[in-house]
Amino acid sequence: MTFREKVESNKFIVCGEIVPPKSCDGDIVREKSKYFKDGIDAVNITDNQTALVRLSSIASAKILLEEGIEPIMQMTCRDRNRIAIQSDLLGAAALGIRTVLCLTGDHQKFGDQPEAKGVFDLDSIQLIATVAKMNSGFLLSEQEIKKAPEFLIGAAANPFAEPFEMRLIRLHKKIAAGARFIQTQPVFHMELFAKWMEKVVEMGLHETCAILPGVMPVKSEKALLHMKNEVPGVNIHDDYINRMKHARDPKEEGIKIAVETIQTLRNIKGVRGIHLMPVMWESITPVILKEAGLGTFN
Amino acid sequence: MKEWYSMAIDFITAQKSPLSTRERKLSRVMLFFEDIVKVPLFGCQHCGECILSSTAFICSQQCPKRIRNGPCGGTGAGGSCEVYPDRTCVWYRIYYRSKFFHRISLLYHTKKIHNWNLEGTSAWLNVFKKRIEAPIWFVHNERQQGKELNSGDIQRKG
Repeated sequence: MTFREKVESNKFIVCGEIVPPKSCDGDIVREKSKYFKDGIDAVNITDNQTALVRLSSIASAKILLEEGIEPIMQMTCRDRNRIAIQSDLLGAAALGIRTVLCLTGDHQKFGDQPEAKGVFDLDSIQLIATVAKMNSGFLLSEQEIKKAPEFLIGAAANPFAEPFEMRLIRLHKKIAAGARFIQTQPVFHMELFAKWMEKVVEMGLHETCAILPGVMPVKSEKALLHMKNEVPGVNIHDDYINRMKHARDPKEEGIKIAVETIQTLRNIKGVRGIHLMPVMWESITPVILKEAGLGTFN
Repeated sequence: MKEWYSMAIDFITAQKSPLSTRERKLSRVMLFFEDIVKVPLFGCQHCGECILSSTAFICSQQCPKRIRNGPCGGTGAGGSCEVYPDRTCVWYRIYYRSKFFHRISLLYHTKKIHNWNLEGTSAWLNVFKKRIEAPIWFVHNERQQGKELNSGDIQRKG
């Protein structure tokens, strides 16, 4: 079953995430990909996350395709203008990549080369509209594409950042532009997420689009505090920090929290799946899926 | 060798935009009056494709990512910008001012991709020349209509 069929059906979706290495060693991607073979429908490939130079998302996605895993190629607007974006999308389609996640991208300030020029020619909503237009057979210049790509378009949402109503407006715009699945920031504040999801269901946005909340297993209290203080837009409830602080085995506790989060999310109305992002801890994926009872879903 | 006054006009109207000489002069004159209002009051960044009317008269181009369609996912607690945490997110301000003026429905409108050829030109001239959409501030007032508009009702006049 391809990822597109899964999104269009009513089955529970599980996405993974791989961060490509800071080298030209494709074997590292292959190595990481083996943890995502069972029970995962598609795997995100980040596009120079936090403005750090890494192996390109198109190349990594191609490596995943060779390994028999369906990639979700992330595409950001920070590094490319509209010409490069369209060209890269055509190239990705030619390589057999069928899913693209449209993001505005982190500001270059967060990387190790903050003096770089941030392009931001388009923003994420305009990027979604661009991909949708290319799917319908036209470039932005209204020129016809002889063989149009068939991308499944994804987008991101952050239910935890203020102003909350504006988040729903953005989500509405993204879905109207053509997004068919939405991945959110990692959920560490269940109350806020449930409230957001209630509003999403109220607006009927979950009907045309699969909402996939993020789940992030963390190794230690330090990692959680780093997320809280350094990563913008992440909202972490103090309960989780306390639990990690007083745990005898922080890793075990991290897995427990992730599994609990998945089980709670599955019971929230409108949630169609999860997006598992074990950043720099890919090996834990099979363990979490097994404990959450998700491996059998495929 | 060009005449001195034509070189002087080129100096005064120095712009990268591909406008004709006549329009460049006109744009410069209009920009003079436009800037008096827009720069001190709204923080105009001279994008030439003005969307102030639908962003509650706060220039969205002050955003470090120049997003025209709403805040990125990084707005911190209390509305701080993710790039410069000591500043307030531009879209946070736009949201609360839109709410104050009952014009949240305008935020549902998706802005077109920016035409960089218009950078640094007079937006008022561009409206008259029908290169960009006309302001929509006075079209929708949810309070007058007595109901909250939903996105389906947004039809931009231009």
